[in-house]
Amino acid sequence: MRPVLAALAALCLSATPLAAADIEAGRQRAETCVTCHGADGITADPSIPSLAGQRERYLQWQLVFFRSGRRANPIMGPLAADLTDEELRNLGAYFASLPRANPPSGAPDPALHEAGKQAAARHRCASCHQDNYGGSQAAPAIAHQTRAYTAKALRDYRANARPSVGVAAMNEAAGGLTDDDITALAVYLERPE
Amino acid sequence: MTRTSSARRKRVVGPAILAAGLMLGGGAANAQLKSYDSSKPSFWQNPPPDWFLGDETEAQKGLAPPVGPATPTPLAELNDNLKKIKLPPGFKIEVYASGIPEARQMAWGDNGTLFVGSFGATNVYAVTDKGGKREVKTILKGLNMPTGVAFRDGALYVIAIDKLLRYDGAESKLDEMPKPVVVYDDMPPYVAHGWKYIVTDKEGAMYLPFGPPFNIGIPPTSVSQIRRVHPNGQAEIIALGVRNSVGGDIDPRTGQYWFTENARDWISDDLPSDKLNHVTRLGQHFGYPYCHQGDMPDPKFAMGHKCDEFTPPALNLGPHVAPLGMKFYTGNQFPAEYQNNILIAEHGSWNRHKYQGGRIMRVTVDPDGKNAKQEVFAEGWITGNQEYSGRPNDILVAKDGSILVADDWAGAIYRISYSR
Repeated sequence: MRPVLAALAALCLSATPLAAADIEAGRQRAETCVTCHGADGITADPSIPSLAGQRERYLQWQLVFFRSGRRANPIMGPLAADLTDEELRNLGAYFASLPRANPPSGAPDPALHEAGKQAAARHRCASCHQDNYGGSQAAPAIAHQTRAYTAKALRDYRANARPSVGVAAMNEAAGGLTDDDITALAVYLERPE
Repeated sequence: MTRTSSARRKRVVGPAILAAGLMLGGGAANAQLKSYDSSKPSFWQNPPPDWFLGDETEAQKGLAPPVGPATPTPLAELNDNLKKIKLPPGFKIEVYASGIPEARQMAWGDNGTLFVGSFGATNVYAVTDKGGKREVKTILKGLNMPTGVAFRDGALYVIAIDKLLRYDGAESKLDEMPKPVVVYDDMPPYVAHGWKYIVTDKEGAMYLPFGPPFNIGIPPTSVSQIRRVHPNGQAEIIALGVRNSVGGDIDPRTGQYWFTENARDWISDDLPSDKLNHVTRLGQHFGYPYCHQGDMPDPKFAMGHKCDEFTPPALNLGPHVAPLGMKFYTGNQFPAEYQNNILIAEHGSWNRHKYQGGRIMRVTVDPDGKNAKQEVFAEGWITGNQEYSGRPNDILVAKDGSILVADDWAGAIYRISYSR
């Protein structure tokens, strides 16, 4: 390479946009993840959350929690243990970039669905998760996850077994949920439309 | 953990029993007053999630506390952010240390170690200077919101929601911190408004805020106050009627306690104002929940009280600016007119459509609290209607007279210096 070109190339490198997460690097790093979370970030196992189209900041926080052990999980803990900040940002950006899962198939029990709708209104889930439950910022999309996963997440928040993002919000919001609320919310949120 | 023999004995006040559904007139005629029965243990375990899910109107829907990046902002991006910070002529801001997740209150050790608390990260950090390069070490992990730190007589004090912990000889044991002594733990365990700040006075007593676990309501008599805890674990109430305070300092001119206070949410974008308060007499009542900003009876909770029953603020700082850590400037680097001015780190809004705060304010005020006025000292961390590049939350004067600023959003500490 001629000196001028080399200098130009160096200049271009140094002018790379700052800290923009790298989706392609995230895709490559995600090879381990897809074993459980599905090739497109959409899981076949109802106990495992789909990550496709999830909020980037939420995903990154969960990886931080797994890495530090604050969200204890025998599989995710070791997998996240060695992630660098950069890898973790890229993984979040990659899964957030994928199209979201469709609602699980099958018609929900209408009474449970209605009870879940009312519980969501009473507990004001939409204040952070938005009217379509698609999430915002670090508040995750909660629509279209399987009922098994949603119910476990709510029980874990209620029991302080997993940390809220940022402030105590989710632990507090889940603190007042009954078992019936959780069952109904989990059904409703599979298909809130 | 070990426990001092005195830690358990000093119950200031037990949980209050509150009548539900108080309807004592005043404010909206038929408004059902929210009140909370704190007589049951369940109140303390799961306070109502009311501080962020308040009485919002349809127009306020969607205003929720923003959550920062999951990882500290990389150095190159921090440097870029700081280019946009506006300061008075002669002042300069630079990154002092980065890679400090959720950095909160700062305190100097006797030998120049900078101790830093954190918010949800559960860590306490030590920042040491290695020939002009700063090394960040996580010295404590797994604490419950250890937002406040102080240093006194060779010991590091950490406040983690409901435990005031002392780590003796901390500065020489950064690689392996000693087991802490619990100095004081008569505090409720809830997280909401339970994160604290430590102000140490000349005698070594520590001022701790006790916020109510909700936005607005009749607080249990054991919270909504400032207590002063002595190193032997003895405690007393300094101020009452205080909502969420996460900052304060002792006026070097008088030895009196000043503190910042975050006002209630969900009234409007422009009401009420956050406050700077000045304690001149033990047990003064600062108005919460009856009166805000010195002149605004609460629409529901005034309950017949008039604002002139309470101690007014020394200065109203503005609505939803979130004043947190503050320091009287006692260094000898800034221009002489800054001497004994108060520098306040404003964390910035969440309960407002267009964020404000997220900056550092300079307050000049007489020792008796008169003639208070404020001006912007450093700004530029708000990058959109509801966007931050950083959120200042604490200030510390350095030995050379520069100041350090902690930013829990970016996970960084900045240094602001002055040269002619």
